[in-house]
Amino acid sequence: MDVWFVVSNTILLACIYGTLAIGVSITWSSLGLLNLAYGFIFAFAGYGAWLFAQHVSAWGPAVLASGVLAGALGGLFVCALAFIPIHDKPNFTIRGLIATLAINLIGTQSLLWWFGPRSKSLPEIFGTWKLSLPGMTLTADKAGNVITSVVMLLLVLRWMRSSRGGLEIRAMMMNPHAASIVGIGVRRTSFYVMAITGALAGLAAVLLSQTYYISPFGGLTPMIKAVSIALCGGLGSVQGAIIAAIVLGLNEALTTVAIGGRYVLITQFLMIILILLVRPRGIAGILDRAREA
Amino acid sequence: MTELSQAQRTWRNPLFAWDSAQEVEQLPTASYVSHQEIWERTRSSRTELFKVGRLRYYHKWAGHGQSTWRRSRYWPTRRRVLRIRGEYNDKSLRREKTIVDKRPIWWVVGLMVLALVPLITPERLENTLLTAGVTFGIYAAINLCWMLVIGTASIFSLATYAIVGTAAFMTAYASTMFGLPWWLLPPLGAIIGLIFGGIIALPATRLDGFYYALLTLGLNELCRVYFVTSKEFGSATGGLYGAATYLPQDWSSTGQLQLAYYACFTLMLLALLLYRFINGRQLGRILRIAPEKREAFAEATGVDFRQARVRVFLISSVGLGFIGGFYSANYGGVAFSIFSFDTVLLGLAMLVIGGIGRAEGAVVGTLIVVFFDKVLITLGPIRLIIIGLIMLFVVLYLRNGLFGIKQQFRTWRDKKKSERRSTRAEKGGEMLPEEATEARNPDDVYRRRYDKMQREFLKKLVTPEVINEHRRAPQGQHSESLERLLIYFRNQPQPDKYAISALQSTNGYRIVALSGHRGVAPRVVEDKIYRSPVEAYHGVFLRRVQDLLES
Repeated sequence: MDVWFVVSNTILLACIYGTLAIGVSITWSSLGLLNLAYGFIFAFAGYGAWLFAQHVSAWGPAVLASGVLAGALGGLFVCALAFIPIHDKPNFTIRGLIATLAINLIGTQSLLWWFGPRSKSLPEIFGTWKLSLPGMTLTADKAGNVITSVVMLLLVLRWMRSSRGGLEIRAMMMNPHAASIVGIGVRRTSFYVMAITGALAGLAAVLLSQTYYISPFGGLTPMIKAVSIALCGGLGSVQGAIIAAIVLGLNEALTTVAIGGRYVLITQFLMIILILLVRPRGIAGILDRAREA
Repeated sequence: MTELSQAQRTWRNPLFAWDSAQEVEQLPTASYVSHQEIWERTRSSRTELFKVGRLRYYHKWAGHGQSTWRRSRYWPTRRRVLRIRGEYNDKSLRREKTIVDKRPIWWVVGLMVLALVPLITPERLENTLLTAGVTFGIYAAINLCWMLVIGTASIFSLATYAIVGTAAFMTAYASTMFGLPWWLLPPLGAIIGLIFGGIIALPATRLDGFYYALLTLGLNELCRVYFVTSKEFGSATGGLYGAATYLPQDWSSTGQLQLAYYACFTLMLLALLLYRFINGRQLGRILRIAPEKREAFAEATGVDFRQARVRVFLISSVGLGFIGGFYSANYGGVAFSIFSFDTVLLGLAMLVIGGIGRAEGAVVGTLIVVFFDKVLITLGPIRLIIIGLIMLFVVLYLRNGLFGIKQQFRTWRDKKKSERRSTRAEKGGEMLPEEATEARNPDDVYRRRYDKMQREFLKKLVTPEVINEHRRAPQGQHSESLERLLIYFRNQPQPDKYAISALQSTNGYRIVALSGHRGVAPRVVEDKIYRSPVEAYHGVFLRRVQDLLES
């Protein structure tokens, strides 16, 4: 078994999954909204980046930035449509879930209607160079993916730790009631949160499009993976999401090498079910302190 | 009012002649106010009239006293066909019957219309409508079982189509490989459903709410990937076909469609029966005492809600497996699209649009969504966008789907009504028209009205002179105005009536308010301690005057 291949793939997958899962996790713990329109935001960001590359410029960083911006825009859209009107209504958790699912349905069908079913591909953002190290070769897209997502995650986490807006979000994550009592506006914070998580989805969309293509329904599998990783790590915990991303990335890389790519999802879900049976609130989740809707 | 109080009179004390030491000879007092005048003024109506009342219209059927106890029941049970309330009309003294719950009538009418659809469809629409009807029957049955899981057992499972799809694929595989006859497929599917349901019910006991929803969503995706990629289940052809079907091949296509329509309709009826038997009987009742977030209470009363939930889950899994077997016997196979995310989404849309927790919600929601999805098929992706928009609208604006509208509207109307009422309510005033329509005893309405007029009159008697007179001598002979006030105060009912309690410790007096209930101590009204009973009497008088003026 090629150890280097497994390690590098683990890191790559963990980075992309982590980017997605942290977004889901933050949204749930601060807003109490389970954003299942993530697949739509993902595809929307991909198409935004594609339009930018087609009509404005195909320069790598600009395309990346446009994808991130489109993702943030998609996040704001979902927030305005699914969170703002019903966040103070009875039965919000379940209604929010269904509202985001409805937005997902509408959004992906609109994309299908507008752009057609043919998938699009983005230009090579990180160029086509290769770096040969003893025992392995680093391709441009792998290195670029890892570096970009790590940098973006570090930026977001740094912002959450050291800025006023980040403080508000963290306060909402700890105790939404108390946060609103001390004057943190739920609606304003929700826009920050959704923009940031949307931007993370946009980044992941552009990065993944280096390997896969952009299609209206292309966001579904990443969304389901993200949601299950966030679930496995414990909804609301950034560290948990990172640990789960690494564990599941390792699992995926190992499965690919050992049994074959077909069985990735199967082993992944068996793993998740096992983890959840042992720890019902995820790896980092504590039963009593998890957010109860 | 002002002119009345300005024109002062003196009051001559009749007791002065006997006891001139303690009594004064005359005192200034308020002039005489004719209560007739006040009465006239109050009687002249200035009141704005409001539309009030919350009567719900029920048609009254005639009933005969002799047939009071004659009731139709479902044959082996004691259950009545319709819930009918019988009563005597107070005014006409006739016997009347009211149908309290009309839902059975709507069900019968609706199901009869559905049963007649193949006979009344025009020729050129027959193909589209009957194909949609077949889909409707199957999906309605699936949704009814799903409603049992989501609504009755409140397990938010999204793996319904995974169970149906797995059962359908397995039975289709068994039929193509081992040549099983069509009538064996549904029972086989039921067994597969039981096994599969048993496996996914395991985490349901540990996880709650959304954790389970997300897990089952993933499980659905897992099934899709597994079946799409495995060669045995026809990864090349987009599905597995060639299973035995109950449709005779030598029939015309119209005849086959009609047979399929009635078969699926029967399947839906069976699912309705299952829903009725689970939700309306012991299991459903056990679970109704343990809704989400209130499980602790149910547990404390000795209800084993976990076991009940798992049982409902397993039973509906058996139902779903049966439907899966029927599915492959109906279409002669099954396509991968049954596992797709859009199928789950559309299914959820059907439940949500109708309203979660009701059989009629599942059926009507399915009807709406299937209509858009299968009948208006020429619209392309727009039809799914329309379904998504309906779903979004329902979720954003309705609390519990279409069938919750009635309840939601009533709640909203009551809220508005009480808001409007609170802007008009006054302390100690007349009964508001809304209250008056609900008052049991009409005398109360008039008592309140008379009381209000009396207060209006008495308020005009409160003047500084009268208060001074009372301060001088709370007891004994008084002028007319003061006497009227005191009589009114003394006649007030016991609850919250002011009284004086003598304090043993400090040798003082304090004002308390009586509770009006035997054994409940009076509450202390103020901290002030009066030195003498006379001062305390006057304190009580002042409080009562203040309460009168405030009302």
